[in-house]
Amino acid sequence: MTSAALERVFREASGRIVAALASRFRDLDLAEDSFADACARALEAWSREGPPRDAAAWLYQTAYRCAVDSLRRRRTEHRFAPELQREIEHPMPDEWTPIPDERLRLIFVCCHPAVAPDARAALTLRLVCGLSTREIARAFLLSEPTLAQRLIRAKRKIAEAGVPFEVPGPQAWPERLDAVLSTIEIAYGRAHEDAAGSGPHSNYAAEMLDITRVLAELLPHEAEPSAMAAIVRFAEARRPARVDAQGMMIPLADQDPASWTESLVAAARDYLDRAVSLHPLLPRVLQARIHAAWCARRSLAESPPWSQILALYDELLKVRDDAIVRLNRAVALAEVESVAAGLAEIEALAAQPFDDFLPYHAVRADLLRRAGRSDEARIAYDAALALVATSAERLWLERQRALLTE
Amino acid sequence: MQYMLLIYEDERIYGPDRDNPAARERRAQHIAYSRELGATRLAGSGLKDSSAATTIRAAAGKQTIHDGPFAESREQLAGYYLIDVPDLDAALAVARKVPLSQDGAVEIRPLLAPG
Repeated sequence: MTSAALERVFREASGRIVAALASRFRDLDLAEDSFADACARALEAWSREGPPRDAAAWLYQTAYRCAVDSLRRRRTEHRFAPELQREIEHPMPDEWTPIPDERLRLIFVCCHPAVAPDARAALTLRLVCGLSTREIARAFLLSEPTLAQRLIRAKRKIAEAGVPFEVPGPQAWPERLDAVLSTIEIAYGRAHEDAAGSGPHSNYAAEMLDITRVLAELLPHEAEPSAMAAIVRFAEARRPARVDAQGMMIPLADQDPASWTESLVAAARDYLDRAVSLHPLLPRVLQARIHAAWCARRSLAESPPWSQILALYDELLKVRDDAIVRLNRAVALAEVESVAAGLAEIEALAAQPFDDFLPYHAVRADLLRRAGRSDEARIAYDAALALVATSAERLWLERQRALLTE
Repeated sequence: MQYMLLIYEDERIYGPDRDNPAARERRAQHIAYSRELGATRLAGSGLKDSSAATTIRAAAGKQTIHDGPFAESREQLAGYYLIDVPDLDAALAVARKVPLSQDGAVEIRPLLAPG
């Protein structure tokens, strides 16, 4: 096995095994460390004898044994710990024991409201998706030690505060499920920002497909997890069309539907159908429907579905009235009604909290340019360019600014 | 696990002697709530006004006695419960029902010793 193939086996097995161990031993560090030990042993054993038939099962058994060994060592170190006795007497899994799927529990632990919001997404990516601290740090534009520190603090909080390893009952879902879905949105937002998909985030867009599938499968009677799974698939389907040959971002309305990934669009539609049948007007379901409206376009010859998009944003505004929704609605309004109407909507949003919000400046600059207000547009483009993080977007903004007449 | 529920409120609404109608009503709510908690509640009480507080401060090992609470702020520690529940979610469920003013807070702190 090549080391890349090994990496893949480890990563694919990681979430399930860490979740099963964490849930069994109620100890995140123990679960993580034992899985790392098992991987180290696998490197050694498999290079001698080749990989076993079921690599994941091998890793699970080995990690489980490592966990029990660590508990034994702890018991010797602290002689008075009768509560550890119970754990150790638990029967060892054998080759035929299926790895229990406890990922949903683990997701709810990582996204518990008692965990600092800025740590939830990172912790989920680390424990459930098996990404390395380095990968996550790069995606969140943080130094590795800073991110590692944040993860340590979050894990300590979970252990010390007594966060249960349970999926909360449905009565707690409005709050708890929302924390989970927001976390996934943040995590996916990081993946999606990188339009070219070749940057540091490319690896984990795939993980997002996986985690949203797990969540939708495990909560089949909730609309929003299915809607999330649809959103991620629609967005990933369009990834190949998001930059041109020069690496410049292509706005949604100019993307060639021929280069969208059809299989992902189809999968997204299945999830969306389920979500709509459960609850068509929840915020994330409406967002998924907006994606679906875009992805229904078959070629550039077909005009973009702006009036449908505007109608959906009107619905969304009724259930989620925030600045981002209003900004997106203004873009659609500018297309359906007039540039002036879109611009009026944007100017009605107080500019103050948007100083650091790139989409605000980018949208405003575009509309000002189209309204022929070049001087103001130039200032707005400069504000946007000062905030832009990806080269694809920078190239696009620079080109738009160059279109301005003196 | 044992948790301490620390209740922070703007104590001015109860008056210095804790004897106005608002204070009496709140006390009745706490009595009813304590009854509801049953064996989950290990201990608990309201606290007198923070003007009754005396604080010992240590600086570089030297102790001095001060009039008043540890920190001067609008919200003061007004009472506590000590509860025994399986985990944080259970503690949160209990804490959510603590009688509380419109603006106030309940801090949930696990005890160091498992008890």
